Amino acid sequence: MKALKLDRNAIGQWLSNMAGERDIYAPASDGPAKGTWTLLTDYSMPEIKPGVPARPVKNFLFPQPETLLKFSIVPTDPDCCLPSEPEENGRKNVVFGVRPCDARSIGLNALACKADTYYQANMDKNAIIGLTCSQVCSTCFCSETGGSPMGTEGCDVSLTEIDGRYIARAMTERGEELLALAESFGKEVTDSDFSAVEALEERARSGSDEIRNPEEQLRKKDLMELYNAPFWQELADRCINCGACTFLCPTCYCFDIQDETLHGKGRRIRCQDSCMFPLFTLHASGHNPRGQKIQRVRNRFMHKMKYFPDRFGPISCVGCGRCVRDCPVNIDIREVMRSLLNFHDMGSVTP
Amino acid sequence: MSTVNEKITEKIRSEAQRLLSTGEVAAFIGYEAGSLPMSVRPFVARKQEDASRLVWNSFCVLNLANYLPALLKSFEPPRRPGDPPPEGPLPKVGILATGCWSRNIVVQIKENQVDRDRVVIVGVPSRGMVSARKVKEAVGERDIQTCIEEDHSLKICGEGFEQELNRWDVVRDNCKTCVHPDPVIYDILIGDPAGERQVQDRFAQVDEIEHKSLEERWNWFADSFSSCVRCYACRNACPLCYCPTCFVDDSRPQWVGKSTEQTDTMLFHILRAYHCAGRCTDCGSCESVCPVGIPMRLLTKKLNKDVLEMYGSEAGMSLDEPLPLTTYNPADPQGFVLTEKSEKGGDR
Amino acid sequence: MGTTSEKNWEPKIVAFLCNWCSYAGADLAGVSRFQYPPNIRIIRLPCSGRVSANMILDALRSGADGVLVSGCHPGDCHYISGNLFARRRFALLNNLLEFVGIEPGRVNFSWVSASEGEQFAEVVKEVTDKVKKLGPSTRLVKRIG
Ligand code: SF4
Ligand code: SF4
Ligand code: SF4
Ligand code: SF4
Repeated sequence: MKALKLDRNAIGQWLSNMAGERDIYAPASDGPAKGTWTLLTDYSMPEIKPGVPARPVKNFLFPQPETLLKFSIVPTDPDCCLPSEPEENGRKNVVFGVRPCDARSIGLNALACKADTYYQANMDKNAIIGLTCSQVCSTCFCSETGGSPMGTEGCDVSLTEIDGRYIARAMTERGEELLALAESFGKEVTDSDFSAVEALEERARSGSDEIRNPEEQLRKKDLMELYNAPFWQELADRCINCGACTFLCPTCYCFDIQDETLHGKGRRIRCQDSCMFPLFTLHASGHNPRGQKIQRVRNRFMHKMKYFPDRFGPISCVGCGRCVRDCPVNIDIREVMRSLLNFHDMGSVTP
Repeated sequence: MSTVNEKITEKIRSEAQRLLSTGEVAAFIGYEAGSLPMSVRPFVARKQEDASRLVWNSFCVLNLANYLPALLKSFEPPRRPGDPPPEGPLPKVGILATGCWSRNIVVQIKENQVDRDRVVIVGVPSRGMVSARKVKEAVGERDIQTCIEEDHSLKICGEGFEQELNRWDVVRDNCKTCVHPDPVIYDILIGDPAGERQVQDRFAQVDEIEHKSLEERWNWFADSFSSCVRCYACRNACPLCYCPTCFVDDSRPQWVGKSTEQTDTMLFHILRAYHCAGRCTDCGSCESVCPVGIPMRLLTKKLNKDVLEMYGSEAGMSLDEPLPLTTYNPADPQGFVLTEKSEKGGDR
Repeated sequence: MGTTSEKNWEPKIVAFLCNWCSYAGADLAGVSRFQYPPNIRIIRLPCSGRVSANMILDALRSGADGVLVSGCHPGDCHYISGNLFARRRFALLNNLLEFVGIEPGRVNFSWVSASEGEQFAEVVKEVTDKVKKLGPSTRLVKRIG
C-alpha cells in the first residue's frame, strides 16, 4: 500500500487538495465548539490534542438528526402520505485526525448495523484519516479492549507522527486515492521510517495492561450470573441516568425514530437515544421493562460486555475513556469490566 | 498537620458511623473517593462499615440533594396512586448539605418531595468547590495524572509537568459569587459557620450578557449552546428536576424535538431554566456535570437575579417563606404589560 | 402557515385569551364593530394562569410571528388570583426571552376586561404594528425542511 512522509506544510497542501472533492472535518481545538467535529476552512494542519476529542466520530455515521424520509400530510397533495427520499447535497466527507479507538468503533458498530442501509451509506460517505497516539492518557484503555494506540483499523489513511513529520499510510483503496493527492509533494518513506513505526507498534503491543482479550473470558461466563451480580446496586445508587456516557460513546449505536410534522409537511428522523433513559424502553401500554435505574445501568454494561460479545465476538467498547472522563458521578467502565471479569473467578457454572 | 477537608472528612465519617450504627438512619448520602484525579463519587452508605469510605474535598460538585427524594421513596412500601400513605415511622436518610444543597432540601420539603422528619441533615459550611474544567484549562488541557489538594492550593501533575494552582482561582463561578455558604437548615453542623459572604457583583456574569445588544445576546446564546448533546446531565444533576415525566419527553404535544438542531436545543434550555425559576439555588451542579461545558447556569442565574430584584426573594432560604412563584404581591412590578405602560393612558 | 413572500407578508399572531375577561373583551370588540387587524388567531383558555411558557414557546416554534397573552386586570380574576401568580411567571419569562435574544415585542402581555372592547382592539393594533416592524419571526422557529 502507498505510504508518504508529509511535514506540516505538506499536510496543509494535501488538505486543500482533498477539499476540492470533499468537506473536511477535524475536532475544534478552541472556542465554544471545542472538541466538536467542525468543518475546516483553513487548510493547515489542525491542532489535535492528545487523547480523544469530546465528541466521538459516530456523529458522522449517525448524524443528529438523520432524515430517513419526507412526506406531505396535506390531503389535496397528489403525493400525500407517500414517502420520498430526502435530498442530499452529494458531498462526501473526510474526517481528519480520528484516533485509533474512534476509528475502530466504526467497524464494531457495523457488526450490529449490517442491515442498516443508512449506516452503510454513511460509511461510504465518510473517509477516515486516522492519527495514531503518541501519548496514552490516563483515561485511555484501548489496548485492554482489543485495540492499540497505534491501531489503524477503520482508517482509510493512518498518520503517525515521527519527529514532527507524519508517516501517512493508505489502508484501503479509498485511502490510496486520497493519498494520491499528496503524491506530487510527499516524500518517500524510508526503511528507517518504517522501522520507527514498527518500533512504536511493538511498544504499544508490549504495554503493561493487565487485561488482554476480555471478550474471550466474558463470553465464557454465565449470562444470568453476571446479570444477578451484586455490584449493580452500588452503581445504580450513584448513576443519575443522564445520557452523557451513551451520547459520547463511539460504540453506543442505539437510536430513536420520530415523525415530525409541521404545517402539512413531515419528516421521519432518527436521533441517538440512550438506554439510560426510562423512555428508551417505555411501552405504549405504560409498562416499562426497564423501569428501574438499576436495570438501565446494568443494561448499558451488559450490552457492551456480554450481549454484544456473545453475539458478535468483540466487546462493544474501544476503550476511548470518554465515559470515564465525562461521567458526572465517576462510573468507571474499567472497574465495571474488572468486576465482571473477576466475578465468580471459579469459572462459570455450566447449566 | 491535616487539611481542613481532612478534618471535615474525619467528622463526617464519625457522624455517619454513629447515625448508621444506632440505626437512626437507614442510609447516608455522601461522597467517596473516585478513580480519577479530581473526581469523587456520590455514595450511599448503608452499613456502618461504609462510613469510613466517605470523603470530603473541593470536588464535591454534584448536589447530593439530587438523590434525596428517590432514596426516601425507596424505603417506602410500594404504593399505587390513590393508596393511603404508609402508616408508622418510615426509615430516615442522612445527607450532607452545604449552603446551597440545604436550600435545595428546603425547596424539596416545601414542594412535598421530602419529609423533614425523615432526613438527618449534616451541614457542612462550604469553602467553594473547584471547577475541574478550570483546572484543565489552567494546565493547558494536558492529561492530569494526580491532583493533591492543600487548603489553599492544588498541586497538579502529569507526564512531564507539575503545576501549583491557587485554589480560589479555580473555584467555580457560582461558588465565587455565593453569599450563603452556610447550611440554612441542619441537624448537625460540621466545621465552623463561615457567615454571610460579601460579594461585590453577585450577578456580574449576568450583567455582562444583559449589556450586550439584542443581536449579540442571540449570537451568544446560539454559539455557546450549540454543542449541547442533549444528554440531560444538567437536568438529571439538578435537585429540582424530579418530575416523573419531563417536558422533553412529552410527545403529544411535543414541546421540544429530540434532535440537536438549534431550535430544539434552545427550547430545551430555555424551558429547563424556566422550570427552575424561583427554585434554583445556583448550586452549579448542572454546569459542573455538563460534558461539553455549556454555560446553562447563566440562564438560571438570570432568573435568580430577576426574582431577587422583583420579588425580593431567594430560593430555599427558610422553611417559613413561600417559594416566590407560589405566591404574589398585588403590587408586583408589571411594567412589561402593554396596558400598564405609564405612557399609555386609559383613553387615547 | 403558508409562504411569506416579502411584499405582502402579514404577520400571524397567536393570542392566548382568558375566557372571562379578554376573550369576552374580544367578543365585545366584535359585537361593537371596533376594527382591528385580522392577524390574530385566538386560543381561549380558562385563565391567564393556565398559559404556560411551553405554550408561548410552542407558538413561536410553530412559526407564529408574534404572541399575545391577555387576561383579567389584577384583582378581577375569575379565580381570584390566577393572573397574579401568572404575572410573576410572565415577567420572568419576558425577561428571560429578552436575555437570550428574542426581540422585545414578539411576546406581549396585556390586561383587558370584558367591558374593554375598544381597548382590546387597541392592543391588537399595537401588537400587530410591533410585530410588523420586527418582520417575520426566525428565532426559535422549528424547520423540518
Ligand atoms: S464505553 Fe466508554 S470507554 Fe468504551 S467506547 Fe464507550 S465511551 Fe469509550
Ligand atoms: S454518564 Fe454516568 S451518571 Fe450519566 S448515565 Fe452514564 S453512568 Fe450514569
Ligand atoms: S438549575 Fe443548576 S444551579 Fe440551579 S438548582 Fe438546579 S443544578 Fe443547581
Ligand atoms: S447542556 Fe450539557 S449536560 Fe445539559 S444536555 Fe447539553 S450537553 Fe448535556
